[in-house]
Amino acid sequence: MNYGLRRVLPFFALILICGCAAKTMVVLVPDPDGKTGRISVSNQAGSVAIESPNQATTVSSGKPPTPPVAMEKETIAALFSEALSIQPKRPVHFILYFEKDTALTPDSLKQIADIIAAIRERASTDISVVGHTDSVGSREYNMNLSRNRAASVRDILVKQGVDANSITTTSHGKENPLVPTEDNVSEPRNRRVEVVVR
Amino acid sequence: MKAITILVTVTILILGGSVACLAALDYVGIVKTIAGEVVIVRNAQTIKAEANTKLLKGDLVRTGPNGKVGLIFEDDTVVSMGSNSKIMIEQFLFQPAEKKLSFIARIFQGTASFLSGQLAKLAPNLVYIETPQATIGMRGTHLLVKVD
Repeated sequence: MNYGLRRVLPFFALILICGCAAKTMVVLVPDPDGKTGRISVSNQAGSVAIESPNQATTVSSGKPPTPPVAMEKETIAALFSEALSIQPKRPVHFILYFEKDTALTPDSLKQIADIIAAIRERASTDISVVGHTDSVGSREYNMNLSRNRAASVRDILVKQGVDANSITTTSHGKENPLVPTEDNVSEPRNRRVEVVVR
Repeated sequence: MKAITILVTVTILILGGSVACLAALDYVGIVKTIAGEVVIVRNAQTIKAEANTKLLKGDLVRTGPNGKVGLIFEDDTVVSMGSNSKIMIEQFLFQPAEKKLSFIARIFQGTASFLSGQLAKLAPNLVYIETPQATIGMRGTHLLVKVD
């Protein structure tokens, strides 16, 4: 195939796929980490699963989705350049661990600088701080403890110059462990605050 | 004196009311990136979208002929929209502790990119994008959709 034809073909494919009538086109693409997930596209007339990157299906009203076809990267870029050009960076997560009560481990204290950097890099005004505990103690005790942990991390961030209005704190008590355990088990990995910078 | 008492009472009632309102309107995400004309239709009112505008369940996000916008949801789902596009946040529940998990977005027209977040991991059968012609089940991680 010569170069000119190769360049033009995707656009013919595009015209064929788009047509004029009311239609939905869905393309599965690799995510920013290079991984590809899985989607299903269905209506009353049928269903199609897509599991490989850069595969597309098209659906017209009342008709089943077409079998997946490969789509050229150039075609994808041409069709979706606007949406892709404004796509925000994925939020970033941090987990800070506690020795006991609201005392951060030395390693987690060092991570505060990374959190501040991520906030600056994204000009973030939407930061979640979520407190958790291990399963030692009552539900109520751990609710309070997780609330205090979240508040202590919020205070550290505010002291570093982050606007308190940008931070939302929530607390899950012992209900949302990172490592599931029986009740009343001391588990350092569950004594934590998760910080999400959006 | 009586007038002042009434004024104070009324003020407290109004303030209390609006605080209660704010608490009830749990936001589901924010506008993160934006260019050109983008509006949010909420309760039949049209609001101009800006960076950091908070999004609520039921919001319709609409981009103009030169508009585009990027949204970040509470579960890390990232949605971005090209021009002349219209998406409604029909359902958004992200409370893992209570196992309340659900995300339904409806695209009426235009182009959009969906980068899945924690909901698609925790509840892969409960994340949907509805279009006029089909239902897309989102089990991760990055899809593009165009509705003509």
